[in-house]
Amino acid sequence: MAKPQAVLAPGAVARIEDFPLRASWAPDSSRFALAGGEGGVYSSLLAGETLRIDKLGAHGMGAMDVAWRPGHPQFASCGQDNSIACWDAASGAQLWRSPRGKQWIERLAWRGDGTLLASAAARQLTLWSADGSSAHVFDALPASVNALAWSRDSRDLAAATHGGVSLLRIEGERYDHRPLTLAETCLTAEFSRNGKVIVTGTAEGSVHFWYLASSRDSQMRGYGGKVEYTLFTADSRYLFTAANNELVVWDFGGKGPEGTRPQQYRGHTERITAIAVQPNGNHAATIGKDWRLALWLPGKSTLALDAHMPESEPVLLSWSPDGRKLLLGEQSGQVSIYRLIRPGKGD
Amino acid sequence: MSQITRIPVTVLTGFLGAGKTTLLNRILTEQHGKRIAVIENEFGEVGVDHQIVIGAEEEIFETNNGCLCCTVRGDLIRILGQLLKRRDRFDHVLIETTGMADPGPVVQTFFLDDELKTQFVVDAILTVVDARHFEQHLQDLKEPAEQVAFADVVLLNKTDLVDDAALARVERRVRAINGTAKILRSRNSDVPIASVLGIGAFDLTKALAAEATFLEPEYPFEWAGVYDLAAGSQAFGNANNTAHEHHHDHDHDHDHGHAAHGHGHAHGTHLGLALIDVAAGATMPALIEQAVRLFATDATDIDCGGSITGPGFYHATLTHAGSSVSIAPAKPGRYAIFLEHAPEEFGLSLAQAQPVEERRFASHHHDDRIASVGISEAGELNADKVNDWLSYLLKTRGADIFRMKGVLSLKGEARRYVFHGVHMMFDGQLERPWGDMPRHNSLVFIGRTLDRQELEAGFASCRA
Repeated sequence: MAKPQAVLAPGAVARIEDFPLRASWAPDSSRFALAGGEGGVYSSLLAGETLRIDKLGAHGMGAMDVAWRPGHPQFASCGQDNSIACWDAASGAQLWRSPRGKQWIERLAWRGDGTLLASAAARQLTLWSADGSSAHVFDALPASVNALAWSRDSRDLAAATHGGVSLLRIEGERYDHRPLTLAETCLTAEFSRNGKVIVTGTAEGSVHFWYLASSRDSQMRGYGGKVEYTLFTADSRYLFTAANNELVVWDFGGKGPEGTRPQQYRGHTERITAIAVQPNGNHAATIGKDWRLALWLPGKSTLALDAHMPESEPVLLSWSPDGRKLLLGEQSGQVSIYRLIRPGKGD
Repeated sequence: MSQITRIPVTVLTGFLGAGKTTLLNRILTEQHGKRIAVIENEFGEVGVDHQIVIGAEEEIFETNNGCLCCTVRGDLIRILGQLLKRRDRFDHVLIETTGMADPGPVVQTFFLDDELKTQFVVDAILTVVDARHFEQHLQDLKEPAEQVAFADVVLLNKTDLVDDAALARVERRVRAINGTAKILRSRNSDVPIASVLGIGAFDLTKALAAEATFLEPEYPFEWAGVYDLAAGSQAFGNANNTAHEHHHDHDHDHDHGHAAHGHGHAHGTHLGLALIDVAAGATMPALIEQAVRLFATDATDIDCGGSITGPGFYHATLTHAGSSVSIAPAKPGRYAIFLEHAPEEFGLSLAQAQPVEERRFASHHHDDRIASVGISEAGELNADKVNDWLSYLLKTRGADIFRMKGVLSLKGEARRYVFHGVHMMFDGQLERPWGDMPRHNSLVFIGRTLDRQELEAGFASCRA
């Protein structure tokens, strides 16, 4: 029998009285923060096979995002109480909380150097200093922000909205807006790790990307539904995309994906509800409404390397920065850590 | 794995001040045992016992599918998506639109978004109408008519603020715009919650199962009465007969204008009236068929004060309050009178007799630019031709057709074909077999400046 290339081994388990909605890992992969769909904000500690999760606070009737501050033992959270909070992960102390705005704060993203936190509330983008003071309030965008991402070099902040992707260049006190216009509803914003490309998936069932140096753009169509997930592998070669139960991978190697056919991975029988790609590798995991958790490696095979069936519907996936642990959240509130085992690779 | 029950969604519309908020508060505070999430057009978020109220800023997007009328509510996609991120689901979602809103984008959101259409189902579009101000609003604005046009249920509210005649008039206006909506009357938005939530009125299949006469055909008359008449003349006119006193308490300029033109008769109303000799054992459906045929014939004019002496179709001129025509059948017997307009519209009644049977029909008034066109016809249709016609219709008139619903009899198909649509969004499916029921086609289009002849011709082209 052939040796498996990689498997996911179930490990530590804990449970929260909440719906695990979003997760963000500490850089050392020892902790993560959780946002609960019913409001809770959680911090965890992972020691061996023991996982402890503590509730630190809440954001009204729903927390909506968490973002770990790079280089610091802190994370920010936001939600339906229209505020942002920053927490000390170890002590659980709230470090600061922003004044309440008028809209849900739905997305957070720390700049790579941990000095600025970007938040999105409907059409409003705001930058916050690490101490919680407002650093800059952008002019309202034409439509509500669906996704937020920083470029790897921390110079550009991208916001996906109906009508395109807004690229905001931030250099000191100078802020320039470079709209990448698209007459569709953009749902994702994903920079390739090499910084050459920005990609968005659209509600109209397409994937659109721009080469940042030249602004040349391309579009891939043919999806059977809205494309809610677009994630590059660590080497920037493969782009994972999903719409309904289709998992479609584009090869950005060589001259790029234009004119090529993508690989289609058909491991799910119902709608894919999350994709997570290893931060430091090319493994990807997916979950779907069919309750399957599947592990993939592009370029080798279009079949899943491994698959699991959780006890309740899986709703959240997140890789640890070291690429060895995969967080799986279930609708029941169970949170599990799977370890990536690659036989013969010393794992 | 994902065997879920879709969460019903009620879309609540109504012009400013119609009573939406009062109804919302009733729904939120009444002990009905449902967990309801309300999405309303204000900022803020309030929990009321087990309920949740979320403020939303209406964000309408045109979709890029080549259709200008395909719009969605981006804010709803995000908010409803968030409502699913809970371990316990809500039993019902209620979406309140602003008083000036067209409900189209809200409803189309549930057709167009992949996730929402699998997780939610539109239960009903509920439009609250201010009985006192509706007619005025219709004159001044387009939104009130559009909101009624989209409705599955119209809550005719504030009925205590108008008299019976005005209420009947408003109801006819509502019926003229939307021939299929269920109309509920209320004071202070006080209606049983069970009559507005969980009623399955949007989905035509469910609506038909609940009420077989959902798609009542449209007739050229609004009222029928069956009378046992003695021989001799009986005045058919205003009960408060004022003996032809010419009380012109309306606009004198208008009156003088007529005089200046030298018309030989005063301005007045021409009322279509059919008199039918009821044969022994004749049923109301049979009389209706006779009346439909009569209304399609040339009418005999009857001047004010004239006599109708036998069966036929007439145009009676009623010039003023208190005017009448005589019903004077040559022989006594049972007669049916079919009226183009409801009798209370002119205060009409037969002076010496009470009807032994009375029947009202959907209003056929098309004096509003937004109206319903109903087609009801027996026979079988060619499925391919139906597909071609509806595709063409949606492509060319989709922006003007707010709602359409229908049950069709397709040749070679044992099951009923049921469809409904909102603008260019269309959903059709084969439903239960006809069985012993007579195969019949019923369609209703509700929209702006609809061309009845064009629709009827299109339908006729589909015959098998």
